[in-house]
Amino acid sequence: MAFLSRTQVITAVGAVLLVLYVLDLVRRRKLSEEYSLLWVMCTVVVAALGFSTPLLTWLTRTLGMMGASSTVFAFGLAFTMAMLLHLSVKLSRLGQENHALTRELALMRHELEGLREDREPVGGPADTGPAERG
Amino acid sequence: MSGLRVLVIIPAHNEQESLPRTLGEVRAAAPEAGVLVVDDGSRDATASVARRHGVSVLRHPVNLGVGGALQTGFRWALEHGYDVGVQLDADGQHDPADLAALLEPIRAGRCDVSIGSRYVRRSGYRAPVARRLGMVLFSGLVSAVLHERITDTTSGFRAYARPVMEVCQHDFPKDFPDAPLLIALGRRGFRLKEVPVEMRERRAGRSFYTLGKSLYYPYKNLLASLMALLQRPAQL
Repeated sequence: MAFLSRTQVITAVGAVLLVLYVLDLVRRRKLSEEYSLLWVMCTVVVAALGFSTPLLTWLTRTLGMMGASSTVFAFGLAFTMAMLLHLSVKLSRLGQENHALTRELALMRHELEGLREDREPVGGPADTGPAERG
Repeated sequence: MSGLRVLVIIPAHNEQESLPRTLGEVRAAAPEAGVLVVDDGSRDATASVARRHGVSVLRHPVNLGVGGALQTGFRWALEHGYDVGVQLDADGQHDPADLAALLEPIRAGRCDVSIGSRYVRRSGYRAPVARRLGMVLFSGLVSAVLHERITDTTSGFRAYARPVMEVCQHDFPKDFPDAPLLIALGRRGFRLKEVPVEMRERRAGRSFYTLGKSLYYPYKNLLASLMALLQRPAQL
């Protein structure tokens, strides 16, 4: 079992390509560092399992898995689940923040309209001098 | 009666047809009360119709649901020094003539939240079986928790005293302010009371509750109710 099986090579190479892509996304600022962490962890673990036969066989035996490939898949799946849960939590928070901002915006717009009305009778709309706009 | 400052908060989502009559009725029934329309992301002329009637209008740029509209209303009520906020539907389901009855227990200091309920007195309303089942379930749950008989947990005709609004402006269910809200308020030590009112058929527009949420609604409400039970009553 010293040599890598074909599936191991495919998973490992795939994982390495993915980690490179994730890092590139971070470099181009398409993905924030915060979210890249789980992705990098996931791919590193999968790549490690793919490249190291002793580690994989030991884990497979310890966990009582039916085959080595199941171990790789199990780890990949676990990370996917963690990622999805993480995203749902983030999404909920985003929703709450969005909600609060919308409410605040409604109140502020009303206040702004009130201020504008207070101001207009004095000098008319033309009175709002260009000084403020710079 | 004692000089409570009352603000009638009307959450409105595409209600340009029914709003004029509702606003007229509110003015006739409670000329001394402030009126605030919260336009919850409408795509029709709701806001300008309301403005033409000389009431205050707050506009959400996107639709948040009744809960969000009420929260905005509460904030406004608090900032403008109102003592009581009354939630009233724009669609004409609620008769503003019942306002005095709804406010009476709060004026008398007998409760902090009064709920206009259509089931206390028979008013000829018949709901579909599934909905009736849900109502029995949730009213049973709420009544058991609060030790106070609440038959209509979904009523959108309620009056909230200032301390309740202070809590709710920060912490309020997003889409359906029903059973979970009542449980959470009860657990915070607020007293709730039901008041019999007449409910009418909605005149125009669509209900907040018919948006294909028939499955999500019971799930969410049950879960949120249980969470409200598990949560420690938060410190203010």
